[in-house]
Amino acid sequence: MTVELDVVSQDEGPRPNGSRFAAARRRFLANRMAVAALVTLAVLIAIGLIAPQLWTYGYGEITDDLNHSPSLAHPMGTDAIGRDLFAQVLRGLQQSLLIAFTVTGVSTVIGLTIGVVSGYFGRWVDSALMRLVDLVLTLPTLAVAAFLGANVRAGGVSWLTLSLVLGALMWTPLARLVRGVVLGLRELPFIDAARVMGASHGRTLLRHLVPNVTDHVIIAATLTFGAAILTETSLSFLGFGVQPPDTSLGLLVSTAQSALITRPWLFYFPGLLILLLVLIVNYLGDGLRDAFNPRNEVVNPLIDPPGLRRRRKAERQARAGRKTNAQRGAQGANEAQPKQASSPQPEQASSPDSGADDDAGSARAAGTGGAPAGDTATGVSSTRDPVATVRDLTISFGDRPAVDGINLDLQPGEVLALVGESGSGKTLTSMSLVGLLPPGATTTGRVNVLGQDVDGWTFEDWRTLRGRRIAAVLQDPSTSLNPVLTIGTQCADTLAEAGLTGPKARERTIELLEAVAIREPERLLDQYPHQLSGGMRQRVVIALAMANDPDIIIADEPTTALDVTVQAQVMHTLRQARERTNAAMLFITHDLALVAGIADRVAVMQQGRVVEVADVHSIFSNPKDEYTRRLLDLAPRLAVAEEEAR
Amino acid sequence: MVRFLGNRLISAALIMFLASVLIFVLVASSGDPLFELRERQPPVPESAIQAEEARLGLDQNLLQRYLGWIGGIFTGDFGPSVIITRDIGAELATRIGVTLRLVVVAIAIAFILAFIIGTVSALYRRRLPDFVLTPVTFLFLAMPSFWLAVLLKHWAVATNEATGYKIFATVGANSVPPPQGFFAIVADTAAHLVLPTIVLALMHVAVWNRYQRTAVTESLSSDHLRFGVLKGLSRRRLVRHYAVRPALVPIVTIVALDLPLLLSGAIVTETVFQWRGMGDFLLESIQLRDVNAVLAWLLIAAGAVIIFNLIADLLYAVIDPRVRYDR
Repeated sequence: MTVELDVVSQDEGPRPNGSRFAAARRRFLANRMAVAALVTLAVLIAIGLIAPQLWTYGYGEITDDLNHSPSLAHPMGTDAIGRDLFAQVLRGLQQSLLIAFTVTGVSTVIGLTIGVVSGYFGRWVDSALMRLVDLVLTLPTLAVAAFLGANVRAGGVSWLTLSLVLGALMWTPLARLVRGVVLGLRELPFIDAARVMGASHGRTLLRHLVPNVTDHVIIAATLTFGAAILTETSLSFLGFGVQPPDTSLGLLVSTAQSALITRPWLFYFPGLLILLLVLIVNYLGDGLRDAFNPRNEVVNPLIDPPGLRRRRKAERQARAGRKTNAQRGAQGANEAQPKQASSPQPEQASSPDSGADDDAGSARAAGTGGAPAGDTATGVSSTRDPVATVRDLTISFGDRPAVDGINLDLQPGEVLALVGESGSGKTLTSMSLVGLLPPGATTTGRVNVLGQDVDGWTFEDWRTLRGRRIAAVLQDPSTSLNPVLTIGTQCADTLAEAGLTGPKARERTIELLEAVAIREPERLLDQYPHQLSGGMRQRVVIALAMANDPDIIIADEPTTALDVTVQAQVMHTLRQARERTNAAMLFITHDLALVAGIADRVAVMQQGRVVEVADVHSIFSNPKDEYTRRLLDLAPRLAVAEEEAR
Repeated sequence: MVRFLGNRLISAALIMFLASVLIFVLVASSGDPLFELRERQPPVPESAIQAEEARLGLDQNLLQRYLGWIGGIFTGDFGPSVIITRDIGAELATRIGVTLRLVVVAIAIAFILAFIIGTVSALYRRRLPDFVLTPVTFLFLAMPSFWLAVLLKHWAVATNEATGYKIFATVGANSVPPPQGFFAIVADTAAHLVLPTIVLALMHVAVWNRYQRTAVTESLSSDHLRFGVLKGLSRRRLVRHYAVRPALVPIVTIVALDLPLLLSGAIVTETVFQWRGMGDFLLESIQLRDVNAVLAWLLIAAGAVIIFNLIADLLYAVIDPRVRYDR
């Protein structure tokens, strides 16, 4: 029985199961603000239900105390004819809650039904219902409700009529939201499966679709609830909602207008109660949203880690004290722009950005790296000064290490492939070389890039390398280009970083685009990324990466998002571009077949560790690690074919 | 692009037609405009009631009445008012001017404030500026506009009394009688605009800045920003062209779609500050059971929603290059 259940839940994809709601509840309970809001709302509801029965005065009851300011007998004071304001506010609270709940109920039922039906049946049903939504949206809620309310004979509009009118006007946002979600769900196989297994439309809708939109509905309901309170009180304020002798919070504020100077309590208590009610409902909705769709940590690559600036300032002051040792201070100091570094290639000298070679600096860096030379087990060799070294690097989130004490060297001009399944820590390792680790990651160990220890670097420190000495090609070219800038502008701003502007920059741009096998590059300059094919976009990205002749290129699965037919061309372009600039490249992939065509050495990663490092031939002919062998088995023929082609 | 525009125009015209039918049926079938006349004591002679019915066209069936009404609209005639001397079209024209003055200034201020606040709280998300701005935003989001309006008006009156000068104008859209001279009139108008504009603008800043915050937050975590960082661009350029510029698309669309709501917001604001604008016109007409006046108001509101939906689509096409070329 349990086995069967398991199978069903797997087949049916995103059905809400206990664990999803349990996780949401856990996150919700961890949100102090939201819990406080929920508790306050519960207390207010309890007060609205119970307190009027217990309180000494009724809301219409006239006492002998006229115009009393708040006291023990009348905690909120009394009005001009001696009615107790606390009793009136309690009545107003009751009314507001009652109406808001009813409006929310009515609009949720209508919105959910129309949204689910529209999204599920699609085609003409969908377009007809969406026109209905457009139509209802043309009716201004406040105006229509006021008009209908005023036309009810004697005694004014009842709370139920008012709720029904508001409910009938406020369901449109929910309908649109639910329709969108259902449109997405309909494409999933579990809906087809349910239909094939003979479920009727009604059953599919109720059992399979409605439960999946529950979280969206709950969040939207809180918004409707708040809006309903504000609309009802506004209507009552204008005189078209709840009518005397009954009372409402809006009506109380309205009658208190003229008495604000003499009896301010009449104005503040009901007004602040409305404010409180809507505020807690909004916080509740916010908490629910975060609970159901947990947001990742705040990503803002423009901001330095907290506390870093202070620490750096202290360091700088300390260093100013021993200026004679300036050479040792090359470690990321601002005043000694970290440009001077290894890279003895002649091309480098022509780059507008590169300083004089400073072998002493890099030698020092290699020394402080603390790597025993010739440590073959970790793929470290001592032939030349590496452009990047990673020593005992551990990157963890919480107490779970995602990268676990790895060592790597990247030699000048070599292509090192980092291979492993997704989640093995390849991308994290590469991002530690450009200072773009996700927030919440803590690192230990040393990372040395172009002869400088990058520990504690700020955004501005990193900028001295990024784009100039170290460049990157990301996985998905459709997202890595700015959608609202032309290709020409995006090339220009990269070149401007190296001081190249005007017609010279344009020349260089065309040269770069030609170099990545783009025909008629002039035509491309005024185009936007979305007008190009995936392969073209990735070529533009490669061109941008090469713009300032970097020493290191990080290529993170550069062909994974492309069509297989385009992959080979883009790989060829990348290989050529690299050979032209003779930059070192860290090539990240899960596909061993690609490795054979481009890499000099291969590092295999598994669960955050480097399990094997060897030159590309040994990896294919004589894999040492079990995991490497298993990876090889997955793509043997392609790999061999590539190998033979070389 | 032309085809896209054509399709949108046809669909807008269809919705406008359906909206006119819906509004007409809703208003015509609920309540009796002559209710007061019939209940009057001593009773009004039956012949007078019948004459009034004939004048307002109430003796015809619903279809005839609709056709007569919609036909009149095309010639600029909004139909007879329950008050014989009232010319609905002419009165609406002056009222719209008053309300637009309020709404346009409020929109401009609200948009700029929402843009700045949303951007700042996204760039400094979960740091000091955001920790201050977000709760303040939530506070205004929950604040009933009528309460804020009354409170501001009260403070303004209190300030005027305390200082002995008329610093704030709290009643009406202009002084009565109006001051002499062009500059005096402009200054007078501006002085009357301050308080209602603040109320109307704050209400919308509270909503709009949240959208801007979300949009900028999304661009900050986008791949294209990451790639921009990897290109070594300066913070300034990244913020302007890689974070804020792509976020323009959602905020402009939302503002355009929300604009008709300002008309409803103006109802409350105009009531508190005693402006004789569109909101006041509506409430007055409802109280008079002036069916044709309410119809005219609702028709204009529906037209505003539909037109601004169209404008939102067009703006979308202008700002977002993906839309511009794809269609």
